[in-house]
Amino acid sequence: MIKRWTDKFFKWFCHPEYYPDLMGDLEETYKDNLSENPRNAKWRHLFSVIQLFRPTLMKPAFDKPLINDNGMLKNYFKISVRNLVKQKLYSSINVLGLALGLAAFLIINEYISFERNYDKFFSDSKDLYRLTTDQVQDGVVGTRDAMSFSPSGAVLTNELPEVLNYTTTFKFPELVFRHNDQVRYEKMVVGADSNYLRLFDYQLIRGDSKTALEEPNSLILTESKAKSYFGDSNPIGQEIEVLSSFNKPFKVTGIMADVPENTHYKFDILMSLKSIQNQLNTQAWSGFNYYTYLKMDPLADPSMVQKKLDGLLQKHVGEEINLEYNIQAVESIHLYSDLTFEPEIHGNHQAISFLVLISIFVLIIAWVNYINLSTARAVDRAKEVGLRKVIGAHRKQLVAQFFIESLLINFFGALLAIVIAELTLPFFNSLIEKEIAHHLWNNLEFLITVLIFFLAGTLVSGFYPALVLSGFKPVAVLKGKFRNSKQGVLLRKGLVIFQFAVSITLIAGTLIVGHQVKYMQSSNPGFDMNHVIGFANPRVPGDQVDALEEKLLLFYDDIISHTSVKSAGSSSVIPGGGSSEIGSMSGGVKIVGVKDRMEGTIYTQFIDDRFNETMGLQLLGGRDFNRNLITDSSSVVVNEAFLEQLGIRNLSDAIGEYIQFGQDPENEKFKIIGVINNFNRTTLKNPIEPTCYFFDAWFNTRSIPRIINSVVRLEGASYLEGMAFVEKSWSRFFKDVPLDIVFLDERFERLYKEDKRFGNVFGSFSLLAILVALLGLFGLSSFMAIQRTKEVGVRKVLGASMGQIVLIFYRDFLALIGISAAIGFPTVYLVMNQWLDGYAYRVDFPWWLLVIAGLSISLFALITVGYQTSKVASLDPSKTLKYE
Amino acid sequence: MKKFQLGEFEEIVLLTVGVLYDEAYGVALKQEIENRLDRKVSVGAMQSALRRMEKKGYLASRLGEVNKKRGGKPKRYFTITSFGKQALEHSKDVRTDLWNSIPEVALELKII
Repeated sequence: MIKRWTDKFFKWFCHPEYYPDLMGDLEETYKDNLSENPRNAKWRHLFSVIQLFRPTLMKPAFDKPLINDNGMLKNYFKISVRNLVKQKLYSSINVLGLALGLAAFLIINEYISFERNYDKFFSDSKDLYRLTTDQVQDGVVGTRDAMSFSPSGAVLTNELPEVLNYTTTFKFPELVFRHNDQVRYEKMVVGADSNYLRLFDYQLIRGDSKTALEEPNSLILTESKAKSYFGDSNPIGQEIEVLSSFNKPFKVTGIMADVPENTHYKFDILMSLKSIQNQLNTQAWSGFNYYTYLKMDPLADPSMVQKKLDGLLQKHVGEEINLEYNIQAVESIHLYSDLTFEPEIHGNHQAISFLVLISIFVLIIAWVNYINLSTARAVDRAKEVGLRKVIGAHRKQLVAQFFIESLLINFFGALLAIVIAELTLPFFNSLIEKEIAHHLWNNLEFLITVLIFFLAGTLVSGFYPALVLSGFKPVAVLKGKFRNSKQGVLLRKGLVIFQFAVSITLIAGTLIVGHQVKYMQSSNPGFDMNHVIGFANPRVPGDQVDALEEKLLLFYDDIISHTSVKSAGSSSVIPGGGSSEIGSMSGGVKIVGVKDRMEGTIYTQFIDDRFNETMGLQLLGGRDFNRNLITDSSSVVVNEAFLEQLGIRNLSDAIGEYIQFGQDPENEKFKIIGVINNFNRTTLKNPIEPTCYFFDAWFNTRSIPRIINSVVRLEGASYLEGMAFVEKSWSRFFKDVPLDIVFLDERFERLYKEDKRFGNVFGSFSLLAILVALLGLFGLSSFMAIQRTKEVGVRKVLGASMGQIVLIFYRDFLALIGISAAIGFPTVYLVMNQWLDGYAYRVDFPWWLLVIAGLSISLFALITVGYQTSKVASLDPSKTLKYE
Repeated sequence: MKKFQLGEFEEIVLLTVGVLYDEAYGVALKQEIENRLDRKVSVGAMQSALRRMEKKGYLASRLGEVNKKRGGKPKRYFTITSFGKQALEHSKDVRTDLWNSIPEVALELKII
């Protein structure tokens, strides 16, 4: 067997002239070996053949029968190069168009693969699932929450054989760290048990990953965090004091590389979960504030596991609970998960699909350019084709010739595309504010993509022109009676219509995205957010909250004594945050005697008696909290949305009534004392949250945040002075506590970052697509104008003015743009209306933007066409008609 | 000035062709070199040296008889051309020249 294959291989590569005697020698040696050592004779044979596998003994690269074709191939290249050089304008338009299209396609492709590869770098990423909690009432799924109860992981691992391991984690809202004299807010701290590093296999640079999170009060720092606290000294074993509710020193037990950009669960610091054992014990099955991850048996069927999860919570928590477990694959979280309390603003698979579409369209537009230009030039090439055929060229050979032309153009286009992609990558990175890659040119996967699309482009764009150009009948073209065929013109028109329809769709889409974002930013959120600042209050252990409150009140009094500070109040959340910042209840509510229990999530916010005034919210009925009334500790203020959710039309029906939260009859003590107007606490993408505002002196337990933030309204004209005063006063009252001031309008601005980014990316690539299309139009119109030079001359002789001539050309193109608009407008409506529907507050479909899009495309097109035709129209007819 | 390019291995092969005179074909050459030099010779290296030298004109070849052991394939016998002989002589002269130029002291020193 081996011998046979070896011989075949030898015959395949050996120079035919040397083959007989070499084969004879080999055979002779083989026979000798066979009698000496039959076992390894064939191996030695193979070894000899491998030794003979060297250039001097091989057949020449091109076999004899190929040599003729080889010559022809050279000729094809030569002719192609000459044609390209001769038609410099068309060639450069083609190359540039293909390069731009391909570069855009490649960059988007790179971005998409970055987004799609979130969390795939963990070795077990395929088997990792996140345990989430759905609120299900009578089979209807309500709020879906990304978090779960802290004991869940252990319970599931015990009960389900498919679950191999679990980790429970807790994302801290914000902690204050102190090392020597550095005091910092750390926003990215995650509490994790010792299993965490087993499921998510981050490697520790220092420390032992098995034990680093074992002990309470230990920390793993990322490299850059470690550097910022300890500089170059070894951080292992050193201590950092964690203030905020801990007030204890923590030991650094590990250092790991910075968490990469492409994971949904980012952190700077890992804290051993045992550090918050008390909180775990008290919350156990009463609060689901934890991110739980499960490692599944690779052979297990997730949908089967999902079924087994049904009813598990009832078993552990009690029959009456209306929550259900759910699992989602970690790999899909970034793009597909859209739950409340996600750890970060997630990606959007819809935006990704949009981008995929754009990238494909850009590429097709570029290919279409080539097809259009090369078929339009058919007249030029017709005689050449005719002559070649007369001399005896086969159609196949002509096809080969035209394919090689397309190959060359695509090749230069691809080279240029790599350069363009590489050079524009930094801009793209800053556009999306993520670093998807440093370089592209040295990325093998990227280059393979280039190669694939270079070949695909050659085939797609070269196919039709090659077919058309090689099909000319020599008799017709050589007689000089040649005209572009009807179908050819029709196809070209169709392709132009396609290009413009896409352009109009893209430009209108971009405008609509921008319009919606602007609308959200400028629409009235229900209060005046200008010159309002927010900051976190000092964090103290539960028993010191009362003392802190007194001190805060003094602080507030002090700052509002300044003329530039209008008012100040405290709240559990600063408006303008993400959806996960606010607290929520899902037990359902009932207004005693007015409304029966209603399911649905109710949001809870804790405020003091000055919050509403500071924010400038309007009291629609009833009264605000009053610090001097002790009964207000069991009063609530609600917003309009809350009443709407309960179906109460008339405000006075609710005021003075009692609310029951959940089903505990004890919880009937809350009296509605006032109703305030709706205001957008978060992005306008979400509807206004039905919210209950509690007077924050009420909840006196450690686990519920109280007076943790302040909001201060400053005088618009002199807000800088006011801010300076707040800072000065703060350092007097709360020495050593960092003050981190944010402006509310900036906070709201940040909420729209993702939308804006999408708009920017969408816009840039649309622009590019349009540019490529215009480039094609530029070439096409110039060609058409030149073809009609004589017609223009005759018209001029007959007295037509230049304007009239240009108008004749315009008429053709305007008709095309009209048809494009007729196709593009409905498409835009269908797609963008659906996109707008994703927003709770959306603009009406802006038809006028479509008109703007259509007009601007027409304008661009007319400028392009006008430039080319006026050049031809201005020629002296005596010159153009000289040879007639 | 004539230039003879002859590598060390090429020279050995060329000389061996001379040694075997009428019987210089692949298998025999390989065996002869291996016996005389007491080292393994790669077929590939030897064969490509042979073909290279044939192209340069140091060697001529003819196809010989066909036999069954060789699977019906002929042998290719190599013989040195006069040009090849010149190349060998040139190379030998260069060496002798070099030998003669070494001061005796240098050699004697080595012996001590």
